[in-house]
Amino acid sequence: MIVERSSDWQEGFLNRLNNAEKWHSWTLYKMNYEIVKMNLIPEFTGLQAPKFLPKLTPLAHQLEAAQTVIERMNGKAILADEVGLGKTIEAGLILKEYLIRGLVKKALILAPASLINQWIEELNQKFHIPAMAYKKNCPIERYDIVIMSMDTAKKSPHKELIYAQDYDMIIIDEAHKLKNHKTQIYDFVQGLKKKFCLLLTATPIQNDVFELYYLISLLKPGHLGNYETFQSAFSASKHDLQHDDYLKELVNQVMVRNRREDTGIEWTNRRVQIVPIHFSPEEMEVYQLLGTLTSTASFSLITLQKEMCSSKEATALTLSKMLENSAEREELEEILAKVMALEVNSKAQKTLEIIEQAKDKVIIFTEYRATQIYLQWYLHSHGITSVLFNGKFNKNKRDYMKHIFKEKAQVLIATEAGGEGINLQFCHHVINYDLPWNPMKLEQRIGRVHRLGQEHDVHIYNLAVEDTIEIDILALLHTKIDVFEKVVGDLDAILTNFKKTV
Amino acid sequence: MYPQQVHNYLRQFFLENECDLVFEDEHYLTVQLTIAMDKRIMNRPFYWQYVEATNGEPNPAQVTFITDQNAMSGKVIGEVVHFGSPRLNQIFQATRELGAFVQMFQKVDAEIGQVLLTPWLGVNYKVSYCCDRTKEMLYSFGINLLTGTINNNFHEAINSIDWDSTQSENAFYVQHIIKPERALQRLDKAIDAIIQQDDHTWAEQAKKRWQRDQRVLDYFYEDVEEKPECYEVEKKALEEQYHAKIKIEIVNGGLFYMR
Repeated sequence: MIVERSSDWQEGFLNRLNNAEKWHSWTLYKMNYEIVKMNLIPEFTGLQAPKFLPKLTPLAHQLEAAQTVIERMNGKAILADEVGLGKTIEAGLILKEYLIRGLVKKALILAPASLINQWIEELNQKFHIPAMAYKKNCPIERYDIVIMSMDTAKKSPHKELIYAQDYDMIIIDEAHKLKNHKTQIYDFVQGLKKKFCLLLTATPIQNDVFELYYLISLLKPGHLGNYETFQSAFSASKHDLQHDDYLKELVNQVMVRNRREDTGIEWTNRRVQIVPIHFSPEEMEVYQLLGTLTSTASFSLITLQKEMCSSKEATALTLSKMLENSAEREELEEILAKVMALEVNSKAQKTLEIIEQAKDKVIIFTEYRATQIYLQWYLHSHGITSVLFNGKFNKNKRDYMKHIFKEKAQVLIATEAGGEGINLQFCHHVINYDLPWNPMKLEQRIGRVHRLGQEHDVHIYNLAVEDTIEIDILALLHTKIDVFEKVVGDLDAILTNFKKTV
Repeated sequence: MYPQQVHNYLRQFFLENECDLVFEDEHYLTVQLTIAMDKRIMNRPFYWQYVEATNGEPNPAQVTFITDQNAMSGKVIGEVVHFGSPRLNQIFQATRELGAFVQMFQKVDAEIGQVLLTPWLGVNYKVSYCCDRTKEMLYSFGINLLTGTINNNFHEAINSIDWDSTQSENAFYVQHIIKPERALQRLDKAIDAIIQQDDHTWAEQAKKRWQRDQRVLDYFYEDVEEKPECYEVEKKALEEQYHAKIKIEIVNGGLFYMR
């Protein structure tokens, strides 16, 4: 076995024997001994970090997660707690523990740009870990704990600079962004040395089980076999899982997932409902006309149909763009005229009804900027104040909008990108005005309000227009949730409180 | 460490390093740092470079440390220090550097007459076992520099003795027979022997974890003829994660003349 010893003390001692330097005081000598004794790590197991963090009171499930990752998973794990249970705290505890134990000196944290400041604050204030945000031209080698965005990290020259550092620990927040193995960021992370590694995501599967396969293959290549063996064993077809229990067990060897109901904390309820909308005959006519566009690519057709379920403004925007180079000019112009002539938006009417009934703060999520602006106008014309929110806002603007929403406006209208990184516990109504393809996006949205600190039941309204593509989206969402539950574990209600078996 | 303990620790540390307490209350203290202490803990090398280069008037800082913020009612402005805070860690580190070497003489009662004091070398070792986990142990050894007898609970044995940092006229200090350098080597050997006899299943288990992960990794790249670079990177990561090593570090030590 390797034994390392340092000769520093011996040198200093001999110097003093030769009267070259002064001896120290007995009091400081004793203090030194006492401090070393007090800070000794007496056992291989157990957590030392809480002792050094008297101002932090981690929750039981957070401590347990940290201990499990260190002792059972040897410091390589996916932290997949449901949204709002404090994955950052768990990651902080683990990092702190390794720093105290001297096993980690340098660590790299990758997070979405919008969350970098939050990470810095938490690590510095809660954990006394001096973390630095990476900026261009900053001497990366001088900082031990560096936080940067994935978008920066994957590009030259940053990528090469990172590779040249010798990080002991890699932490990746919102790790579901690595689900696609054909991306630059996946490539980048694959090439990183991962001695200790944490992947944080509430949603390790968003669409199919291969996403989880690729995530685990980053963390521990081979744990789920190689691609061929995994494919033949676990997925004859994407949604038909043969060996669910076996796969679940393998997954649980590298993944910690706390659910709200396991935390021992009293959680408020989620009241989730699907609100069916009926188009007016005029709206339905336009919707069906869209289906007759034969020479339009099916992808654009689906986009148009989804937009029509949202607002005429969103639809018109896309139609006008298509007009520029289309073989079906006449048909398009005709539809566009009919779209513009529409006077009623049934979905917006229903939305107004819900807001009026709620008599409380409401968040509306839509996928389209045009709808977002339309809704603000529509609500305003009915005397309801609202603020807009989207992912392009910088930190200051986000905080400002959040502040106005909290203090002044009744409604916040967010586009998809607004779904991550803001905490709005003071609000208890969420309207999913448009449905995304991916159920985990819904979970992320709900997680903005249904998190630690929420004191009321949370009402979720999923709007879907009858006899349109939105009903198909609902069915697909159900299927995807089913896959997730089979492999990862149960999910809190997202679509409805009633479980539907597929 | 409770706030009161932190308070006492800071107080003792600064007094011992000749920094005056300008003001003190139960929950905070204001300290006038010496130039040496300012250089050590205030993290401002450029200021000191500047003062020295320009022959300027040195102005070491006066700092207020709040040791129990919860108990504070008034508006004292200062730095909050608690167990785990970076400042306290820095002061612990300073203590390690400033309390590492001593030469002590047992106090002699003048009425007893001439006493013979024997030299000992005392050394406190911190031993760390490291793999993907760690465990640390503290050993305190003393060796009689006349007879070579080793005491393996030395610090506890000398802790309660009254010491002087200077020699007294009433004592006769025996010259060592075993040179301190040689004695240190003997203690190093004694530590090695203790480590050798210890239970090292921790290292075997770490090796098993390593082998298991290596097998998983190899399986992933089984059919790949030419292993990509990331295979080598992962392999190196596993080695760094699991390979077992033992670190031996001397915390402090010194010469002790005692009865």
